[in-house]
Amino acid sequence: MSLVYLELFITDVLPYIAGVIFIVGTLNRIINWAKAPVPLKIPTTCAQQKSLPFIRRTWEDRLDSPYTMWETIGRMILEVFLFRSLFRNMRYWLDKQKGVDTRWLWLFALMFHYSMLIILLRHLRFFTNPIPGFLGLINKLDGQVVFVPPLYITGILALVALFWLWARRILCSRERNISYPADHLILALLAGILITGNLMRYIFKVDLYAVKEVALGIVSFHPVGAAVVNQIGWIFFVHLSFVCVTIAYLPFSKIMHFAGVFFSPTRNMPNDNRAHVHVNPWNPPYHGITWQEYYEMYKDQLDEIAENGYKVKPEV
Amino acid sequence: MVELERDGEYLKIEQKFTSWKDLLKPVTEKDFKPGFYHYPILKKDAEYLGIPYRDWDPTEPDWHLPEGWKETFLNKFKELLEKNRQFKLFMDICVRCGACADKCHYYLGTGDPKNMPVARAELIRSIYRRYFTKVGKIFGKWAGARELTEDVIKDLYYYLYQCSLCRRCSAFCPYGIDTADIVWRGRELLQSIGTVQRFSYISIAACAKTGNHLGLLPGGIVESLQSAAEDIYDITGVEIEIPVNKKGADILFVTPSGDYFATPHWYTFMGYLMLFHELEERYGFSYTWSTYASEGGNFGTFASYELAQKLSHKIYDEAERLGVKWILGGECGHMWRDKHQFMATMNPVPKTKTLEEPVSPITGTYFENAAEAKIVHIAEFIADLIEHKKINLDKSRNDHWKVTFHDSCNPARGMGLYEEPRYVIKNVCNYFYEMPEHTIREKTYCCGSGGGLLADEVMELRMRGGMPRAMAVKHVHKRYGVNYLCTICAIDRAAFPHLLEFWKLPVEVGGMTELVGNALILSDEEQERELDLRGNPLHKGEE
Repeated sequence: MSLVYLELFITDVLPYIAGVIFIVGTLNRIINWAKAPVPLKIPTTCAQQKSLPFIRRTWEDRLDSPYTMWETIGRMILEVFLFRSLFRNMRYWLDKQKGVDTRWLWLFALMFHYSMLIILLRHLRFFTNPIPGFLGLINKLDGQVVFVPPLYITGILALVALFWLWARRILCSRERNISYPADHLILALLAGILITGNLMRYIFKVDLYAVKEVALGIVSFHPVGAAVVNQIGWIFFVHLSFVCVTIAYLPFSKIMHFAGVFFSPTRNMPNDNRAHVHVNPWNPPYHGITWQEYYEMYKDQLDEIAENGYKVKPEV
Repeated sequence: MVELERDGEYLKIEQKFTSWKDLLKPVTEKDFKPGFYHYPILKKDAEYLGIPYRDWDPTEPDWHLPEGWKETFLNKFKELLEKNRQFKLFMDICVRCGACADKCHYYLGTGDPKNMPVARAELIRSIYRRYFTKVGKIFGKWAGARELTEDVIKDLYYYLYQCSLCRRCSAFCPYGIDTADIVWRGRELLQSIGTVQRFSYISIAACAKTGNHLGLLPGGIVESLQSAAEDIYDITGVEIEIPVNKKGADILFVTPSGDYFATPHWYTFMGYLMLFHELEERYGFSYTWSTYASEGGNFGTFASYELAQKLSHKIYDEAERLGVKWILGGECGHMWRDKHQFMATMNPVPKTKTLEEPVSPITGTYFENAAEAKIVHIAEFIADLIEHKKINLDKSRNDHWKVTFHDSCNPARGMGLYEEPRYVIKNVCNYFYEMPEHTIREKTYCCGSGGGLLADEVMELRMRGGMPRAMAVKHVHKRYGVNYLCTICAIDRAAFPHLLEFWKLPVEVGGMTELVGNALILSDEEQERELDLRGNPLHKGEE
């Protein structure tokens, strides 16, 4: 009997708590960043600047060292959707004193993020009625591997990528050195979500109609009652708990990089510093020596320059 | 562990890894290694710049921190967070993916895990978490937070001055976290309690007073110009006339003050003078040097916003006083981070009748990319002259040099100046070879001595930090016989001779304009030139 209360808490209360914490926390973070001014325009210029007409600038130059607003937007799109900077990654072989391109981190990071995105989109079918057409397409494309039920490629890829990312934090000494408990915690939470999700789909199957009722109940603010909850297997509640805890934890974690990357001035500002000067709202007034003070300090020497007609000639 | 050979001796690089807990454990004077820590600021400089001073020694256990230092530090921290979005953001969004880790030349050269850019940022982030986030307040160490203690200040002092602000890590960071900015802010925090290094503050104080880092007085600058003119006479037989503090000139020329005295900067200095003389003879080019704005570089950018502003202010001030049309800047690294990204923001461009959008008086080219800041890089200027065939060049005079080009960190990642110097070099030299792809352009390695690290007491750090660059030079030296490392940075030119000597590489260091000066055919030069600017004989037609 008491278990039902726990289950009802998980379906009817926890999602709202998590949602509120997430929304308030994230907005708080974003507003906090947005409130602070950007004193200097500091793009990291990873390619040729725009300068003279005969200095060639390829499209890559335009995106890695943008001059116009559109080029900057292009840079941000590459950064956000294709992880441009990670793609540049290399490894230094100390024994050969040589750098080589290393794109494993880029590959697995991209794999993980895109799989998670598609998984999230797939889940929308629980929250929508009727289900929009594009979700059906995603479902179909993702479920190409023949199995009963069809195997979702992303569900497996996300897990593989996650364990690769985790393994490097545990097995590579350098990455182990810089991994805080928080870095493992978020991986553990995500692993919990992915594992319970996969288990629920392939092994401990649950009543999807009831799950959909719960999901629709959450988004329509009509939480379901014990009758619906009783039809669903235990693993669903474990899955949902992991999801809620993770969502509530996000604003306090490094996952805020998803919002932060848009604010990063080394990426979102154009390299047109000398053409369009940036204004710092709190720029302090100058405190220092003026020409007049300088002149008085070194009057003799400066007068001598004037006497010589502001010219220096070699003694030959 | 790796042992690198250099002429029979070995340099050990030991990479040690422990756990995240050691990342938070401060390194204190007990573990400071000679050759890695800086001497403290001098009393006269601290007093001149209004920085709290007390007598202290980094190797002593008690650093005599000023009364209420913790409060001062945290108040400053709060102020910086409120004033700098990027700082706040970089405190929050790092995921510790490790992409930056082996991009730092100090990490590669020392093997010290605390020299990884992520670890360097964590020095400050750990304090941020403890005092400015709830998670850090509650979970402490387990959330990567640490208490601000005297030992932590020692840790900051040791590691914030092992970064040359080259921004190589920032190019690789998926969120563009700029360690240079974090370190800059961190040093600003240290400055608030007077725990700063000696080297750059000597130059900052000198520059604030005399207008240049070396503290040269007007007479000294004139003498320097004069002896360069004499050297030019010895080599070319041409007597040149150099305008100084001349009102009504079209262009104000500023260059780092190292050029007035140091070697091999001197030859680049001669190159500028020869070029301007030629332009004056042929096209009536009108420019001037200034003793008041006699510094292009800006060591303030290694220290704090206010000091950076203080040092770059004189340039527009002088441009206004002399009534020039625009400003031309010489070869320098961090100078161009400042001139391109900071100067006009920190010191708004004066609205005068004379200052106008830069147009080359010789070719008529409009420098659109410098329209508002009105400062043009010498490489842009010369490349334009060459493109329009306005100067006569004899490439073969550089045939004794097999040249490679080192992209200086700041013109590369802080400006995007990659092709202009290459264009110039290829037009004045017959033999030009690139270093390996992973060591040039946006991936360029630092010389190991930038960002205020040019101090003698940190020589071992500098030699180790320069290792990846030295290895790249070694590669082209062995493969193509490269014997000239061309660079457009004054600190490079001061640092590389030591570095190349340390790694036993018989390669000379010099600037782009030196090569231009060698190749430049002066129209009033009557005799055949027999020496290059360094006094090396030119064996023409023998090869």
